[in-house]
Amino acid sequence: MHEEWTDKLSDYLDDELSPRERQAVESHLRGCAECAAVLDDLTRVVERAQRLDRRPPRADLWDGIAARIETRGAAPRRVSFTLPQLAAAAVVLIAASAGIAWQFADRAASRSADIARSTEAQSRASSGYEAPAEREPSAERSNIDIAHVSFADAQYDAAVSDFEKALQNGRRRLDKTTIAIVEHNLQIIDQAIEQARQALETDPANDYLSGHLVDARRRKLDLLRRAAALTIESD
Amino acid sequence: MALSADTPIQTGIETDVALAARGDASAFERLYRTHVARIHSLTRRMLSSDEADEVTQDIFVRTWQKLSQFRGDSAFTTWLHRLAVNVVIERRRTFAIQRERMAPDPAVLDSLPVAPPRADLTVDFEHAIGQLPPGAREVFLLHDVEGYKHREIAVMLGVATGTSKRQLHRARMLMRKHLNG
Ligand SMILES: [Zn+2]
Repeated sequence: MHEEWTDKLSDYLDDELSPRERQAVESHLRGCAECAAVLDDLTRVVERAQRLDRRPPRADLWDGIAARIETRGAAPRRVSFTLPQLAAAAVVLIAASAGIAWQFADRAASRSADIARSTEAQSRASSGYEAPAEREPSAERSNIDIAHVSFADAQYDAAVSDFEKALQNGRRRLDKTTIAIVEHNLQIIDQAIEQARQALETDPANDYLSGHLVDARRRKLDLLRRAAALTIESD
Repeated sequence: MALSADTPIQTGIETDVALAARGDASAFERLYRTHVARIHSLTRRMLSSDEADEVTQDIFVRTWQKLSQFRGDSAFTTWLHRLAVNVVIERRRTFAIQRERMAPDPAVLDSLPVAPPRADLTVDFEHAIGQLPPGAREVFLLHDVEGYKHREIAVMLGVATGTSKRQLHRARMLMRKHLNG
């Protein structure tokens, strides 16, 4: 093996050589099958390295992290809702989950979860209590089967428009970066919704597209909901 | 088909970063779930399976503490990853002395016979990475697996660019033996 040449092959592969060195290596490679074979091997090593899969840990590490971020004085802040805001939020969530035609694996269970959530929200509201900032229905919806989507979904549209109004009213309370992120993301989501809608017109039975559309719409609602929550965050 | 699978995911990340920076632990949990496989794979390969869980937790705790410093001038994933690499390198330095004592002589590793072929080539390749001499393994993982440039690696590890290049070549030449299994 020509070590003086093979030693240059990684730099050659990574384009780290000067034009002159590069030319020299190339002309050697044309005449030396052995070095060309080494280069081929190195290329395959790099390709294999880039394809290595990423495996999550065997055990869920989140609980340990959650314990440490809550006990070190960095407990998550809580957001106070006024009674009307909280009541409105609960109503909107129910409207949204009923309005979009999701087929839950266990419809009854999830309905009662929604009702429980709104009842809990309202009882906290009426006692003037603090509510946790995060109400997260989307997690439960990540493993749902999609039946179909109704485009002219008045309730979904109403929910979106309610959140848009809330966001507009509270806009001054958000910093520029947050507004930029939210608006940028809304734009992306709207594009995705529009693309999916157009594609579904030509291929209405496509499950992937339906799923994509439902997901995009859920994201939009979720983003608006969370952005609206930020506007009423109290310091 | 013009639909991009990446876009909605990235959207969620940016929103969750903004929320987590304001103290929203649920948003932070979503960030954890999105990134844990990559971070855990990095720690497992750079350190060892035994240390990976603990160090991964350290990394996410540190991320939570530093989120307010994230300025959004790079992608969050890039920022998180860089933070993870720093934690790992710090850890390696802390345990460097014990590690050197326990590590086999690199010269012995160089002369090891080629591993016999196995059914699961990926595992074999992973295993072979674990057998690389520590310096070569570090650079190989950072450059070829994680995609950092030599000048970035040189800064991270506090070595010359030329050292990083030599270690990478050494690692690749050793890994070559594990291609034809
Ligand atoms: Zn040659």
